[in-house]
Amino acid sequence: MGDATESLCPRCLARIPAERHHQGDEVVLVKRCPEHGEFRTTVWRGGPSLSGWSRPKTPVRASVDHAGTERGCPFDCGICPEHRQQSCTVLLEITGRCNLACPVCFADAGAQAGPDPSLPVIEEWYRTALHKSGPHNIVQLSGGEPTLRDDLPAVIALGRELGFPFIQVNTNGVRLAADRDYAGELKRAGLFSVFLQFDGTEDRIYRAIRGRSLFLEKLLAIEHCAAAGLGVVLVSTLVPGVNTGNVGAILNLALELGPVVRGVHFQPAAYFGRHPEPPPGDARFTLPDLMRAIEEQTGGLMRMGHFRPPGCEHPLCSFHGNFLRLPGGGLRPLTEHAPACCCGTPEPENKGTGRAVSFVARQWAAPAAGETREPASLDAFLEDFRTNTFAVSAMAFQDVWNLDLERVRECCIHVVSPDGRMIPFCLYNLTSAEGAPLYRRRAC
Amino acid sequence: MSGPEEAKEWSCAACGGALEIVKVGFTYMKGNFEVDLPACRGCGLVLVSEELATGKMADAERILEDK
Repeated sequence: MGDATESLCPRCLARIPAERHHQGDEVVLVKRCPEHGEFRTTVWRGGPSLSGWSRPKTPVRASVDHAGTERGCPFDCGICPEHRQQSCTVLLEITGRCNLACPVCFADAGAQAGPDPSLPVIEEWYRTALHKSGPHNIVQLSGGEPTLRDDLPAVIALGRELGFPFIQVNTNGVRLAADRDYAGELKRAGLFSVFLQFDGTEDRIYRAIRGRSLFLEKLLAIEHCAAAGLGVVLVSTLVPGVNTGNVGAILNLALELGPVVRGVHFQPAAYFGRHPEPPPGDARFTLPDLMRAIEEQTGGLMRMGHFRPPGCEHPLCSFHGNFLRLPGGGLRPLTEHAPACCCGTPEPENKGTGRAVSFVARQWAAPAAGETREPASLDAFLEDFRTNTFAVSAMAFQDVWNLDLERVRECCIHVVSPDGRMIPFCLYNLTSAEGAPLYRRRAC
Repeated sequence: MSGPEEAKEWSCAACGGALEIVKVGFTYMKGNFEVDLPACRGCGLVLVSEELATGKMADAERILEDK
């Protein structure tokens, strides 16, 4: 027997009971559909052990506009009253178009996209996000490839006018690389930081995941952001057997590129959108696989014990660690994880979202230009941390194979759907094994 | 930040002595920093103004406390 939860059948999307079976340090999600049989997916493999990997929290519910509860989680998203967490990041998909044709794409974006939403429609989405979760969220402009919209600066400026201080663009960097003035345009429009797709340090990785060589364009995009004073977070989709051996090289390069790169965010590939089949032989790259890979591939510069479970989303969904770049080239860890004990005091879950937002707000903006120095005075200490803190994080998205409705109910990353509902990111992108979406409308 | 003029307005609650500006070291979690603050050399009591406590020191605390 294991921990009881619920999931969906990968074939028919019916809600079915599921259990997390603990076998040593491995946790397997086991579920059975009366019609389509049993499905098993490894959700946690090896150390650090999942027992003790949590921070005590008490649930918080969104305060306004609950959706109905006719069919129950996950069919009444909007957010529904069963949800236990507020938003910390809100995604707006401002185009379905893309200038790459990636074999891996959660949004299944590309050539068959419909027309872009107009500025008044986007304004409605901003207002929905404002009404349902307030201005103190990270707004991520996503797609498709948002930089294909020539009015992206106007979209950013609109969000700022409506009161959102932290607007990020989720981009492949192709336009930032091609046009040296573009980063400055986005910065002047009020952009806060760039979430740059960055899957590795070798072009074979880009050819496998993105369909063509892109490495030099990524470097150029970062150079242009640095010149414009825009902070960059490198975002790596990790595909088993393609770039899971490159995480150390990504981190080392990110550190070499200097304070313009605020950190690296890893996203082990989920199996939805254009890629609905699970990896053969259950070769899914789980969060502990990644933590161990980071330790091994950085030669111990970053270690498993430096990474913490989330204070915001479900413990199975993410980890993060913060480090201070030292003048000599070393790193000082600022975080560590001590396994939870029975005497911890639970905190409201929205305290975690607030802290996550303020952390991202502080960490992902570009630092002020200046010399690297050891902290001495309080002012120098603050400036040193603002400039030289380097954040490493990872988020394990869920797909129809590993979906766990307990995790979904603690999700704080929400997409504003075209009809104005707030839907947890994983549910919004979830597709059945045959590619049928749970929520996302087909692009064509 | 507190200056010599502000220091003159205060006296030590323990011994009544005058405060003077000294370099005070703070350690919080794994961070260390120094601030010039009014303090009593005899008793070691330090005056931390509300502005400093709720401003830059609170910023440092948030930085060190992680998300």
